[in-house]
Amino acid sequence: MAEKNITIMHAKDMGKETSRQKIVKLAVKFFVYAFLILMALIVLFPFYWMIISSLKTLDEYRLSVPTFWPQKVMFSNYAEAFTTGNLGRLFLNTMYVGVVSTLLSLVITVLCAFAFARLEFKGKDTLFAALLATMMIPGELFTITNYSTVTQLGWMNTFTVLIVPFLVSVFYIYLLRQNFLQIPNELYLAAKVDGTSDLKYLWKVMVPLALPTLISITILKMMGAWNSYIWPRLVANDEAHSLITNGLRNAFTDTTGDVNYPVQMAAVAIVSAPLFLVFLFLRKYIMAGVSRSGIKG
Amino acid sequence: MVDSKHQWKAWIYLSPAIVLLLVFTVWPIINTVRMSFLENYSGLEAVGGATFEFGIGNFQKVIEYKRFINCLKNTILLCVLTVPVSTILALLIAVALNSIKGLQKVLQTIFFLPYVTNSIAIGMVFAAMFNIVGSFYGTQNEIVVTAGIINNVLEFLGFERVNWINAGSSYEANIIVMTVYIVWNALPFKILVLLGGLQSINKQYYDAAKVDGTPRRRVFTKITVPLLSPMLAYVVITGFIGGFKEYSSIVGIFGENMGPVDDVGRLNTMVGFIYDALETNKQGRASAAALILFGIILVVTMINMQVSKKRVHY
Amino acid sequence: MKKRIISLLLALAMMLSLAACTGGETPVETTGSNVSGETTPVESGVKTNFTVPEGGYDGSAVTITFYNTMGASLQAVLTTYIEEFNKLYPNITVVTEQIGNYDDVRSQISTEIPEGNQPNLAYCYPDHVALYNLAKAVTQLDSLIESDIEITRADGTTEILGLTDEQKADFIEGYYNEGKQFGDGLMYTLPMSKSTEVLYYNKTFFDANNLTVPTTWDEMEALCKQIKTIDPAAIPLGYDSEANWFITMCEQYGSPYTSASGDHYLFHNDTNVEFVKKFRTWYQNGYMTTQNIHGGYTSGLFTAEGNDIKSYMSIGSSAGATHQLPGVGDNGQRPFEVGIATIPQVDASNPKVISQGPSLCIFQKSNPQEVIASWLFAKYLTTTVEFQAEFSMASGYVPVLKSVSENPLYQDFINSADGGNFIAALSAKVCLEQENAYYTSPAFNGSSKARDEVGALMTKCLTETDESKIEGYFEDAIDECEY
Repeated sequence: MAEKNITIMHAKDMGKETSRQKIVKLAVKFFVYAFLILMALIVLFPFYWMIISSLKTLDEYRLSVPTFWPQKVMFSNYAEAFTTGNLGRLFLNTMYVGVVSTLLSLVITVLCAFAFARLEFKGKDTLFAALLATMMIPGELFTITNYSTVTQLGWMNTFTVLIVPFLVSVFYIYLLRQNFLQIPNELYLAAKVDGTSDLKYLWKVMVPLALPTLISITILKMMGAWNSYIWPRLVANDEAHSLITNGLRNAFTDTTGDVNYPVQMAAVAIVSAPLFLVFLFLRKYIMAGVSRSGIKG
Repeated sequence: MVDSKHQWKAWIYLSPAIVLLLVFTVWPIINTVRMSFLENYSGLEAVGGATFEFGIGNFQKVIEYKRFINCLKNTILLCVLTVPVSTILALLIAVALNSIKGLQKVLQTIFFLPYVTNSIAIGMVFAAMFNIVGSFYGTQNEIVVTAGIINNVLEFLGFERVNWINAGSSYEANIIVMTVYIVWNALPFKILVLLGGLQSINKQYYDAAKVDGTPRRRVFTKITVPLLSPMLAYVVITGFIGGFKEYSSIVGIFGENMGPVDDVGRLNTMVGFIYDALETNKQGRASAAALILFGIILVVTMINMQVSKKRVHY
Repeated sequence: MKKRIISLLLALAMMLSLAACTGGETPVETTGSNVSGETTPVESGVKTNFTVPEGGYDGSAVTITFYNTMGASLQAVLTTYIEEFNKLYPNITVVTEQIGNYDDVRSQISTEIPEGNQPNLAYCYPDHVALYNLAKAVTQLDSLIESDIEITRADGTTEILGLTDEQKADFIEGYYNEGKQFGDGLMYTLPMSKSTEVLYYNKTFFDANNLTVPTTWDEMEALCKQIKTIDPAAIPLGYDSEANWFITMCEQYGSPYTSASGDHYLFHNDTNVEFVKKFRTWYQNGYMTTQNIHGGYTSGLFTAEGNDIKSYMSIGSSAGATHQLPGVGDNGQRPFEVGIATIPQVDASNPKVISQGPSLCIFQKSNPQEVIASWLFAKYLTTTVEFQAEFSMASGYVPVLKSVSENPLYQDFINSADGGNFIAALSAKVCLEQENAYYTSPAFNGSSKARDEVGALMTKCLTETDESKIEGYFEDAIDECEY
C-alpha cells in the first residue's frame, strides 16, 4: 500500500519560505497554467470550428482556403436547422432513451462492478477475463446477429430495442470495478463486522465514494444516446421512435444529396446545448471529491 | 474459503448483466465463429440459397492477403505510439486541473467541450490543419493554394513545410498526423476518467504529505500515481483494446482511401480490412479477420494484465 | 489470470468447433422466407423471379415503403406526387423514408434482407442491386414490363400494367439500359433521375483570347498548351473524378473495363495503359489536376478570383453546376460567365458520357400485390412527365424521359439557361442535347471495388514520376480487385 511511503512527521515550520522557494513555486504555477491553457486551446479548436462552420454559407464552407471567421454571419442556418429538422419530437425521444438507458445501465453496472470488486465467488477471475474478452471483437460484426435477434423478439420500432441491447457495457463495468478497488477494503470489512448488509454498504458507502466515476459514466452513456446512429436507424426508423442523430443526418442535404454542413453543424450545436448545460451542472459533482462526501476513509 | 451463501449472492448481483451479455454479445460472438468456419460465407448468398462448406479457407484467405502484414503493422504501430502518449498527457492534464485554484472552473469546462463537439467537425478541423491544397509538391511546377494551418505555423517559425497527408507524402508524416489525431481524440475521455479517479483518492494522504513538506514530484510519484494506478491500468488496457480496433480515425483524416491518394490503403488497419470484407457481404472472411484480431488483442491484454498486476496498488 | 485465460480460450475453441459443426449441417438461414429464389416462367417466354398474378393489381389495400436519400426540398416534390398517385390508387399507401446517403441505404437494406425486412422500393446504384441479388431479393421487372393486363384506376381511367411501346421509347436509351447491366439481360431497375459529367469553361476568358471549346482530347491537349502560354501559372483543366475519367476513356476507346459475367476485371490492357501514360504527361506538364490530387474541390480552382491560381476548365457533375459558378463580387457582378459543353471525346462523332444518379429497384415480397403496387408507383414516378420535370428542376438532375423537354414548365426553365444565375438550366440543356451519348458500366458484386481501384490507379499514375512503373500499378490494381 502507498501509505507506507508516507511517514508521518512533525509539522515543520511552514510559515517561512525563502525567496528562492517562492520563485520556484511561481515558476511551477506559471508552467502548469501555460500547459493547461495550451492544451485547452488544442482541445477547444474543433468546438470553435463547429461553431464558425455553423455560421458560414455553403459556398464559404467549400472554399479551398478555409476562413477563420465567417465572411457573412449566417444566423439563418440556425433558423433553418430548427425548422427543417423536426427536432422537437426527436429531441424528446432521445431524452427518453438517454435517461432510461442511463439509469438502468448505472444500476446494472454498479451491481456487477461491486460483485467483481468486493464479493468472492468461484470463477470470478475467469468470468472477468471472459467479460474483457468480449470487448476485443469489433462490434460491427454484432450488428447482423443482433438485428436478427431483435426482429425475432418482435422488438422492431419500440423504445425497448433502442435501450435494452446496449444496457451492459463491459467498458463501464471495468471502469467502475477499478474505482471500487481504489476504495480501501478495510471499510468493507468494518461494515461486515457492524453487520451492515452488502446492498446497504454499496449504497451508503461505495456509491457516494465512486460518485465522480458514476457521473463520468452518466456523461458517456448520455452522449452515447446522443450520438448513436446506425443502430437506431436500423431498428426504429418510424417517426415515433426516431432519434436526434437520424434527423440530423438526414434533414440537411442539398438537392444533389450533398450534405449541407453549415446547417447540419447549426443543428448539432442546437441539440448539444442542453447537454452542455447538464455537463456544467454535473461537473460540480465530479470535482466535489471525497472530502466533501462526508465519509472518512 | 467462500461460503455458498455468498456465491449465490454474487450471482444475483451479476445476473442482469450476464443475461443481457449472453443474448447481445455472446451469441453474436458464437455466430461470428460459425461464419468464420464456413468457406466464403455471405449472409445474403445464404438467403439466396447458397450453401457453404466447413473449412478454414477464410483464415487462409485473410493471411494470404498481400496487405495483411501492412494492416497488422499499422494497427500495432498506432497502438504503441498513441496509448503511452495519450495516457501520460491525460495524466498530466488531470493532475494539473486538480491542483490549480484560479480558472479551475473555466478550464474544467473547456475540457468537457469535446463531448459536445460533433465528430464531423473534428474531421473538418483536421482537413484544415494538415491538408495542402495544390499540386506538384516538391517539383519546379509546385502550386500551393493553401498549405494548412500547421504548415503556416511551421513556416512562420522558420521551418520547411511538410507534405503531411497529400499525394507524395511519406509514411512517417502520415503516421505523425494519425498519432496526433488519435491522441487528441482520446484525451477528453482519459482526462475524465483520471479526474474521476483522482477525486476518489483520500485527501488525508495529501494532507499528510503537506504536513511533511514532501516535494511535489515526490507526491506525484509516491502518492498520486500509485493510488491512481487502478484507473491508469484501466486507461492503458482499454486504450490498447480500442487502439487495436482503430479505423474511424483514419477515415476521418484520409477518407475511405485509408491512405494518401497516390497510395490508397497504405494506412489500412485490421478493422479497415474487416469493413472492406463486409462491404461486399463477405462475412466469413470478415469474421475470420475479427477472430485473428481477437487473438492478438487477447495476448496483448494478458501481457498488460501481468504487468499491471505487479504495478497496480489496490 | 493467465491460466484462466487459457482455459477460457480452450472453452472458446470448443464452442467454436461446436458452432462450426452445426453451421456445417444447416448452413442456410431460412428466415427470409419471403425472398423467393425460384424462377418461374411467364407466358412471353422470359424467365423472371416474379409472376404477375391474374388480373394484376386487385385493388387491395397495401402499404409500401420507399427508401431514398432525398433532402427536404425534394421530399416536398415527392409528397405532392404521392398525393396525385393516390388519386389514381387510393388503396396504396406510400411511406417514404430518408435513409442518409446512398451507402447508408445499401448497408441498411443488406442487413434487412436476411430477416425479410427490406423495403418495397429503394433508390439504388447498380452495384447495390448486384449485392441484393446475392440474396435474389430484387424483382426482375421483365414480366411486369411486358404485361398487357388492363387496370382500372380510381378516377375511372385505365392503364396497362406494363410499359407501352411509347413509354419505353420515351426513356433516354442509355438510362433505360442501365437496368439490364447485370449480366443476364433481364431488367432490374428503372431510371429515376440522372446526372452526367459536363465540361465547364470560363466563357469570358475563352472569348477574350479567341479560344475554341475542345470537342476531342487532342484538341484539349493543344488548348491546354495554348492556355499555358497565356497564363503560365494556371492549371488549365480540373477533373473532379479520377474514376469517372478512367471508365469514360475505356468507353470512348472501346477498350474493356469490366464485365458482369466471367472474368470481371478486364481493365489492364494496352489501350488503357497508353491513355494513362498520355494523361500522366499532361499532369507532369501542369495541364491538369484532379480533385484528390489537388486536395480540394476542383470547382474551387475554377471559381478562384483575382491573382489566385486558377483553372479555366472544370469537368464535373452536371448536378453540381451551381458550385461551378463564381460568387457575386463587390460590384454586384460575377467575375466571369460560365459556359458548359459536352466533355471531350476520342471520336467526336461517336460521343460517350457517363450516366450517374439513382435508379429504382423493387424488392421481392411474399404478397405479390405489394410488388405490383410498388411497380405501379415506380412506373408512375419514372413515366410521369410532370413529376420528372418538376423533380429535375428542384434537384439539378436530368429527367429520364425525352418528352420532358416538351413540357411547358420545363421549356421555360431550359429557355432561361445562361452562364450566370440560371446555370443549372444551362447544365440540363447540355445534358439533354447529348441524350444519345450515355453509357453505363456492367454491374456485379464488386463493381464498386473496380471503380475505386481504377480511380486510385489513375491518381497514382498521374503523380508517378517514373513512367516504367505504370504497368506494375495496373497489375496491382487487378490483384486488389480479384482478391
